[in-house]
Amino acid sequence: MVGAWLRNPAELRMNVKAISTDVLLGIVPIALLVAVWQGISSFGYAPMTLLPPPGLVFMRLVQQLATDTFQQAIIATLFRLFAGFSIAVILGVGIGLAAAASPAVNAVVRPIVRVLAPLPKVALYPALLLLLGFGHESKIVLVAADALFPILLSTYYGASMVEQKLIWSAMAAGTPRHQILFKVVLPAAVPSILTGCRIGLVISCIVVFLAEMITSTEGLGHLLVTAARTFQAVDMFVPLITISLLGLTLNALLQALRSYLLRGFPEI
Amino acid sequence: MMVARMLVSRLAPLLACLGLLAIWQAGALTLSTESFPTALEALRAVPAILGDRESLVNILASLRRMSIAFSVALVVSIPLGLMMGRNRFVACFFNPLLMITYPVPKAALMPIIMLWLGVGDIAKMLVIFLGVSLPVIYHSFQGARAVEEKMLWSGAAMGLSAAQRMIRIVLPAALPEILTGCRTGLVLALITMVTSEMIARQSGAGNILFNSLDMGQYDIVYAMIIIIGALGIGLDAAFERLRRRLVRWSEPGFEIPLSFA
Repeated sequence: MVGAWLRNPAELRMNVKAISTDVLLGIVPIALLVAVWQGISSFGYAPMTLLPPPGLVFMRLVQQLATDTFQQAIIATLFRLFAGFSIAVILGVGIGLAAAASPAVNAVVRPIVRVLAPLPKVALYPALLLLLGFGHESKIVLVAADALFPILLSTYYGASMVEQKLIWSAMAAGTPRHQILFKVVLPAAVPSILTGCRIGLVISCIVVFLAEMITSTEGLGHLLVTAARTFQAVDMFVPLITISLLGLTLNALLQALRSYLLRGFPEI
Repeated sequence: MMVARMLVSRLAPLLACLGLLAIWQAGALTLSTESFPTALEALRAVPAILGDRESLVNILASLRRMSIAFSVALVVSIPLGLMMGRNRFVACFFNPLLMITYPVPKAALMPIIMLWLGVGDIAKMLVIFLGVSLPVIYHSFQGARAVEEKMLWSGAAMGLSAAQRMIRIVLPAALPEILTGCRTGLVLALITMVTSEMIARQSGAGNILFNSLDMGQYDIVYAMIIIIGALGIGLDAAFERLRRRLVRWSEPGFEIPLSFA
């Protein structure tokens, strides 16, 4: 469909132009922010120790990316993030589908989710520390607990919004009852599940960083805390920018997965 | 029959709470380590904390900061989100900036903001404000974008000005989505409140929680977890009631379970 209305070269050009003005417009506030940042620090409104100029921060970022300790920190953070996020996806999609499919499971899961979903999970972190120790486990469990509920809820809503007609047609076409869940309900719920995963991914990024800030011996959050303790303002900005870039990259990967899985469907 | 079913669905969250506490109790009894007190011991420490004047003042100070920051965030974010949803230029202007800032943990900005503003209330409220505003902007944006064009045309044909259309058509139509964002924002506000106080150990609920962890007062740690958890569940339930009342018109009156199993 997209190809059809892009075939006209004049329209294509107009479209490219529209997109590029959009992009330019979007760059303006970011450029403005960097400019104000640069202005404040170069006109001496803020001392270097409070607000280092952006050039220095980005130089430092590039310089740090090449060092071994920084790479180790990124790897530790990414490992925790992925482990927790994967657990959340598996549990969230599994429980969400089960709750949508079976009223008995739903009756059990619904009240538990209602109680646990609004609970601020960071408050559970001290308990996790005491139970699981200061290593990877407590952080992975915290990430999983925080990312689980958005994924679970959107899987549940997606699966319970599946049109009954689709299920009836599949049954009429001879699909065995136990396969309907995987052949009809799951694919139909994919857009909603992916939306939940996106929210869960952002939350995972945030939570893994916070957990590392609270207690850790490695990871990006730990780097921020060590920099803060020694008042190294430049080194405080570097991990923050890194986690933001990581979040953007992962988000883009998820978006690519989404357009691959939903190819041929209009974007929902 | 109907009454009994209503009663069960009303009591289900309470039963779930009791069930979770029972699992905790059983787990603590089987593990029986010093750092994991039983649910009963933790519950017994709750009145002691709430009865202590200093801790109560601390918790109320946290709630005050949270509610101020939450309200300011709503006042700023909802109009911004609605404008973004209705105006392409505003959307293109703010969208990339929001996309970049979304995955940054707002509480992680705390050390930097503390450098500038000190450890006082303003730094904490600013962090909570930042944490709440993004989901609210995002959901208001989505809600305003999905408003039916025809309704706006009819409004314009009936002589409503652009501002009036915004308030009388776009705002009500986007309200369900906006409130979803507010609910996410409320949970995030609590999370950010706890973490900001954990980083700037000066006052507040998060301060009590992590100080008692450092001092090894495990019953207080778990009692604070119960208190903060109850705050989250209570605020969420209250908000959900408000939401139901405001958007009752937009929801189907009954739920149809899928039938195939």
